[in-house]
Amino acid sequence: MPKCTINGKEVEVKDGQTIMEAFHKAGEPIAHYCYHPGLSVAGVCRLCICDIEGNPRPQIACNTAVAEGMKVSTKSEKIKDGVKWVLDFHLINHPLDCPVCDQAGECGLQEQYMEFGKYDPEMAERKVKKHKVVDLGPTVVLDSERCILCSRCVRFTEEVSKTNELGIYNRGDRSEIGCVEGKILDNKYSLNTVDICPVGALTSKDFRFKQRVWYLKDSETVCNGCSTGCNVKVYFNKEGMFRVKPVYNEKVNGHWMCDDGRQIYQFANKEFRFQKALKKDSSGQQEMLPGALAKELHEVVKRGKDQTAVVLTGQYTSEEYDSFIGTLSKEFGIKKFFHWDNCLEQRNDFDGLLIRGDKNPNTKGLEKIFEKYQIKTEWVDLEKGISSKAIKNLIVAGPENASVFNDMDAKLKLYEKAENLIWLGSAKIEALLSLKNNLFVIPLKSFVEKEGTFINHAGLEQKFKKATTILHECLTLTEVAILFAGKNLMMPYSQEKPDFVESQRRKDQVLLENRKKNEFVFKRGTL
Amino acid sequence: MMEVKYLTEFYHLDEFRYLEGYKKNGGYVQLEKALKMQPQQIVDEVKASGLRGRGGAGFSTGMKWSFLPKNNEPRYLICNADEGEPGTFKDRLMMERAPHQLIEGMIISAFAVNSKKSYIYVRGEYDFPIKVLEQAVQEAYKAGYLGKNILGSGFDHDLDVYRGAGAYICGEETGLISSLEGLKGQPKLKPPFPAIQGYLRKPTVVNNVETLAAVKYIIRDGAQGYRKFGTEKAPGTKLFSLSGNVKTPGNYEVPLGYSLMDLIMKEGSGMKVGRKLKAVIPGGSSAPVLTAEEVAKATLDYECLAGMGTMLGSGAVIVIDDSQCMVDMLGVLMHFYHHESCGQCTPCREGTGWLNKIVHSILEGRGRLQDIDLLIKVADNMKGRTICALSDAAALPVLSFVSKFREEFEFYVREGRSKVRGNFYAQMHH
Repeated sequence: MPKCTINGKEVEVKDGQTIMEAFHKAGEPIAHYCYHPGLSVAGVCRLCICDIEGNPRPQIACNTAVAEGMKVSTKSEKIKDGVKWVLDFHLINHPLDCPVCDQAGECGLQEQYMEFGKYDPEMAERKVKKHKVVDLGPTVVLDSERCILCSRCVRFTEEVSKTNELGIYNRGDRSEIGCVEGKILDNKYSLNTVDICPVGALTSKDFRFKQRVWYLKDSETVCNGCSTGCNVKVYFNKEGMFRVKPVYNEKVNGHWMCDDGRQIYQFANKEFRFQKALKKDSSGQQEMLPGALAKELHEVVKRGKDQTAVVLTGQYTSEEYDSFIGTLSKEFGIKKFFHWDNCLEQRNDFDGLLIRGDKNPNTKGLEKIFEKYQIKTEWVDLEKGISSKAIKNLIVAGPENASVFNDMDAKLKLYEKAENLIWLGSAKIEALLSLKNNLFVIPLKSFVEKEGTFINHAGLEQKFKKATTILHECLTLTEVAILFAGKNLMMPYSQEKPDFVESQRRKDQVLLENRKKNEFVFKRGTL
Repeated sequence: MMEVKYLTEFYHLDEFRYLEGYKKNGGYVQLEKALKMQPQQIVDEVKASGLRGRGGAGFSTGMKWSFLPKNNEPRYLICNADEGEPGTFKDRLMMERAPHQLIEGMIISAFAVNSKKSYIYVRGEYDFPIKVLEQAVQEAYKAGYLGKNILGSGFDHDLDVYRGAGAYICGEETGLISSLEGLKGQPKLKPPFPAIQGYLRKPTVVNNVETLAAVKYIIRDGAQGYRKFGTEKAPGTKLFSLSGNVKTPGNYEVPLGYSLMDLIMKEGSGMKVGRKLKAVIPGGSSAPVLTAEEVAKATLDYECLAGMGTMLGSGAVIVIDDSQCMVDMLGVLMHFYHHESCGQCTPCREGTGWLNKIVHSILEGRGRLQDIDLLIKVADNMKGRTICALSDAAALPVLSFVSKFREEFEFYVREGRSKVRGNFYAQMHH
């Protein structure tokens, strides 16, 4: 455990750790681009130069291991000037299109320049022009002229996704990122290259030019795309959710997440969800407020409690399962709880990196609560019960992400046989509306609108907080259980803060609702 | 004349290129002798001889060998024959005239460092030397100097000739290793150094053609015998590629420590008729230039030239006379280094292009006086800031050309034409 001094601060690091890591540990800023803690060291951007006492030449912090007693500094004028010059080298052929660059607002080059840069550019020569809007594959677009050749994306495809689609072609200042001949950037993790691109060279086709990042808020949560439970950050505003990015968690997902996981923002958005409660029976069809319908269903559940079965998917929080199962079994004596397992056969599939066959975030949580309430039902009992009419009322807590439920049609055929179908869920499933039984649909909150716990494939319990509210009237399973029990729901409206607090807004800030969309930006670069 | 025929003793004989002719003139005798020695004895002898790498860096060869781990882990020996530095053409002569001399030196060296596999990485453009080497390697295999149980010693060794990628940077030892591995020829970060983790992540020694060719003479004459030439710190002889405005350019073998002016005036037969010595690049195009006054004091050894702010490098002496424009010359050099930068490290990738643009804007009559200082600033900030020395190779000529011949640059900017040869460049390009 060598000790070293970083800009005058003494820190102790693990054996073999680099000066860069010591800087991070000491909380000292150090300029860098090509360094990424999840990738091998390339040492090519040359920004992290530092003075090591006794060493005549500046060394790079990312590839120099800390030795006992080492004294490292970035404070000398020589180093400061050196870093400024390297930044100038980075910028001489970089276009000054920041106002229309999709990375504006979160561009590493801008940030580093503001902190370490040189404010008197000396390049009077013409810039090297490189390619614009290069289509790399189904998910990613390259603006080559903005690329600073940090090679992070290339190293990602070599070392993490191991798909080797990308390379750096040509030499000198003609160097450009590109796909290997005959290949396209098409792998399950391709959008991580966009995350790690420190400039606006690689952009996501899905997110490109949809929002300026300074109009977005963000919040950390847990991905509900599969049983890995990647830690993610969701980005949203009043218009809805726009993207998902990974958050580092050494125990779960490291620095990465899969492309499928990035789609989870879509089914949380209004257009993919039931927005109103729906009651459909022989007398017709009626839209209601979710809470009102849930309260009304108290009588239905109470009347048919012996003939009621509950189907649960692995898409809810452990807290919801506990309160829902607990309430229904205590209040009504319901014993027939079933697990709708959509991924039984591929449950243990794993791609070796992050993606798991179980496409539910909380299968383990559901199993744990089943164990707590000693529920040992078999799916076949449900099928028998429905066929024999022993089960007349069916309460289904359906999926939030319906796209991973390949057995949806088959299951709906089974559920159709029940007399009353009470469907709880957030995903808008059109096929439900054509079912022949009495149908009650109560829209639920999505995972970003509530707090709770998911237990991942490895049994790791991850608590997450509420990120935002997209549909105000929707309920959680817990709230549904309370209303089913005939109790009143106390909504803490008074404590809930609005998303935007007027007093915190700067006077010069353009209001989102007053903003006129820049049509040039929206049209430019469209593929 | 101080030219010596030590390494090049039989280069005038055409038969020396073939196995029979080589053997007739003492070939492979030293291999037999070396195989009866202990490998460590050879390493010690090479160390004691003071042989320094002839590729450019001038690092002690024996020392380099002793950095290899002392175990039986597979390791490689690579001969760096990627001779790409402008002005350098000595290795080509050795490969064309004496391929077996190199092969014998390589087998001895491989035995010393316990390597069972070696490569000769030859510059891609060297078509004829590659053919000569390939033929010689076949001859050596047939005669039992390569392959299994060489001369009954129990030592196995295989040698391949590898055609390089035709990029200057593949001559840098880690760039060469990348290229040999089938990757883009780009230098690798050090540490780890090749002696610890080189070709295929195994310990590797990379030596220049001339270095390896000298090894058999150290075995023949012993360390002290080898030291009869050269200086205390730079023993032995060295081939110098003499080019430029001299009457008889060519390769000359002289002892290290030899006078640079004598090399030009005696071996090179002096300046071309009517021309006066203006400057010399003493060690390949990346070496800082010397003025005529400095040349008069310079000797061809590592210490003297380093003391004068330049380097012996590969031994490519480029002679410049008073008809040459230094701005023109820098334009040629910057075009070369811009073209050859691998593009990996930012200061080199962008800096070589920037330098090239500045020099060419001066050459095209668009230069500004501040461009001259800008050249120095850009070059200063490229120097010592990259993985390999290509950035330095581009920066050092700029710094020396501009500081020593500043008036030519200023004249060019002010007048829009060369102080030395009028507006020839402008005529050519417009």
